[in-house]
Amino acid sequence: MRIDAYIAEYARKTPPQIALEEGKKSISYRCLDEDINTIASSLMDFGHCRFAILAESGIQYIKMLMAVYRSDNIAIPLPIEMPKFSLERILDTAHINNIIATETQYSRFGEDFFERFGTVLVFSNDTSVETRRKRIATETNNPELRLVLYTSGTTGTPKGVMLSDRNLVSNAESIINVLGIKSNDKAALVISPHHAFGNSIIDSHLMAGGSIGIGTMNFMESTFSLIESGVSIFYGVPSTYRILLRYPERFRVAFGNVRTAASAGGGMDLATVKNMRDLCSNIEILPMYGQTEATARLAYLPPEDVDEFVDTIGRPIPGVMLEVFGDDNRSVEPNITGELVARGENILLGYLDDAITTEKKIIDGWMHTGDLAQKLPNGYFRLLGRKDDLIKIGDHRVNPREVEKLIENNNDVSRVFVVPVSHELLGTAISLMVIPTAGTEIDTLFSFCRKNLPGYLYPTEILFIDNLPLTENGKISNRSIMEEYQNVKSSM
Amino acid sequence: MGQIMNDILDYLKDNSFIDRESSLNSSDSLTQNGIMDSIGLLELMDHICEKYSIEIPEDMLTPENFDSLQGINDLIVKLTK
Repeated sequence: MRIDAYIAEYARKTPPQIALEEGKKSISYRCLDEDINTIASSLMDFGHCRFAILAESGIQYIKMLMAVYRSDNIAIPLPIEMPKFSLERILDTAHINNIIATETQYSRFGEDFFERFGTVLVFSNDTSVETRRKRIATETNNPELRLVLYTSGTTGTPKGVMLSDRNLVSNAESIINVLGIKSNDKAALVISPHHAFGNSIIDSHLMAGGSIGIGTMNFMESTFSLIESGVSIFYGVPSTYRILLRYPERFRVAFGNVRTAASAGGGMDLATVKNMRDLCSNIEILPMYGQTEATARLAYLPPEDVDEFVDTIGRPIPGVMLEVFGDDNRSVEPNITGELVARGENILLGYLDDAITTEKKIIDGWMHTGDLAQKLPNGYFRLLGRKDDLIKIGDHRVNPREVEKLIENNNDVSRVFVVPVSHELLGTAISLMVIPTAGTEIDTLFSFCRKNLPGYLYPTEILFIDNLPLTENGKISNRSIMEEYQNVKSSM
Repeated sequence: MGQIMNDILDYLKDNSFIDRESSLNSSDSLTQNGIMDSIGLLELMDHICEKYSIEIPEDMLTPENFDSLQGINDLIVKLTK
């Protein structure tokens, strides 16, 4: 079944039920279904063709997405937060002949941007379609392909992840199951709907016949008002929560009636969990783990285990199998580090127009996540950094995240980051960047490293920094750490 | 444009996607035009608080007060009185 078919079903079963809200606007399942039909009617004469969608978050975006589904075409939402040249880079490789855009985005990007497309459809408010140009070209696509999501591109060029109806439905079903989503639940969608996490919120809540309040994180008062409008499940990346927690009193009031605060898109830290609990003792905190390549979710940490196991990703969601593989692609024992691999109906079809990368990602039916992990004796999984982040020093393979943990756990410091730097003899050595506490002493840190680490890990220098070295997606990686290091060095 | 708006515009030119040359009307939306995202707005807020020695109460963090040069200008004028 396609995701939009669930909307049609609820339009029959519970027609007046509110499906989507945005500011003062709202739309019932019946009206949403009718609008999707109207928009889809302008797309019906395309036969399974690629459609870029250029739209800001909102009811309009969801209508356009579902209309592409309903007309049996392929949706490719463009991440509009990216600068124009990044979008052009995606479009240069993605062979997309057709685009549908909102009027706002059409005027923002300008006519020149749209010249590359054979078909350009512009939607003004609600359902009126203006066909600027229409040239239907035959395309050969994977017959199961329904949606292409672009990864945020933490590592260079963004990749187009190909997903099928089956991928979308099975992952949404698992999420409904884990979160216990019901038709009387209202979700808050304040993150981008163009990426896997936001998209999964749309799919799972509409499949459950519930409603979604759409907002942004731009203006805190508007965000808090949205949460207070009866939201029962709030979704955010860890930084979403950190930003909201800057206003503790408002947080306490706004989250007072929220049942579940779910997170994904990065590890939740104990300090954030504690801060939330202190303000709202009854709230259920539910950290989740996933990848775009798995449609969205792979694992979740049951709320009752958040305090004890917050440094793990918990267990697989229903329908997913997780394993830790060694270099020979076979399972390793618990507590041994290897690569986390996954299988299930949510695993991607492949990367768009890139068979070589697809072959490296899916081997014998197992998707290789690129994350290093250990399986714990209780069946939970602990992540230990990215496989790509392993540093080669001399002939040693070093996991910087493990070194950081060791130093953090045994010294009076807030956070430690290992920076690979070039070294005359070893090729690579490490420096440390440290977020200090009041009691941090550089000499003590050096002597700890001297006594507890092998010689090749003795830091060439230790620098103090103030803030976490995050990427624009709020993640910490070798790349973000090295960028911060360059910044610190250049300002010295 | 007054002094405050010019200061904010200079800040945006140094800290956002907006080009040095491009013009921005005082009522243009900063978020709809892709000039600012949520993190950018937080940084802008901190910058304003520091530069004008003001504190901005949460209930004033609305699009009316923060999504355009004019809105920000009026907010600063109101809070520095």
